[in-house]
Amino acid sequence: METQKIDYKNIFYPPGGILIWIVIFLELITFGIAIIALALFSKDDPEGFHSSRLLLNPTFGAINTMFLLTSGYFMATSLKHFKTNNHSKASLFLKLTILGGLLFIALKAVEYYQKIEHGLDMDYSTFFNFYWLLTGFHVVHVLVGIVILIILYFGINKKESKTELEDFEASTAFWHMCDLIWLLLFPMLYLIL
Amino acid sequence: MKDKNTLTLLILFVLTIASAVVSNLGREWSWLAFILMGLSALKFILVVFEFMEIKKANSFWKFLTVSYALAIVLAVVLIL
Repeated sequence: METQKIDYKNIFYPPGGILIWIVIFLELITFGIAIIALALFSKDDPEGFHSSRLLLNPTFGAINTMFLLTSGYFMATSLKHFKTNNHSKASLFLKLTILGGLLFIALKAVEYYQKIEHGLDMDYSTFFNFYWLLTGFHVVHVLVGIVILIILYFGINKKESKTELEDFEASTAFWHMCDLIWLLLFPMLYLIL
Repeated sequence: MKDKNTLTLLILFVLTIASAVVSNLGREWSWLAFILMGLSALKFILVVFEFMEIKKANSFWKFLTVSYALAIVLAVVLIL
């Protein structure tokens, strides 16, 4: 099978293209600032933040980490098959990636439902203010990622597919960005404070 | 190992489980934030280099991603 080649050593072409990497860094910097703000606010009221943090279920957080990491693995495998023009396998792994994202959303929905049921909303404490804002914005990114992956899936399954390697790589990079943000949020919200 | 991505996923799982175990050592332990954020940075770098294939990219991107991960860990550890 023919393998598509791109000169990744070119500074202007990281995998996915420079534009998606600008977006990724803007997102990472935004979430990074929020994480630092969370750490700073927790210094003013360490006991309050700790008691609020104990109301979260770290098992949910750990399982969701596994879902996103596995989903990221499927995405990387899908890209590998797309590069060798094996569209049927690329398509299969893309479906598994979407499934991983949906499982993440489903577990998050259960977690949110439990929190709301126990009155742990944004007004409950400063910690829960951060919790809802940070995880909420992250969930929005995951939902956008799932929509992108669904569009990609239908794109590569068309009879005369016009999906380029650059499109696939950029979608892959966006999906992995959701992993990266979660990898920083998980210890901060569920384990450390 | 069949392929490098599978090995990466297994390492990521092990690091996640290690984070959960370490977090049970208690908040009084002064190294807790450092170890947990360090493990998180390690997972971040693994995903960026292996799954996002930054290992194939220009050194500028490798420097930028590693610097970001280290900066976040350092900032959080210094604050806490």
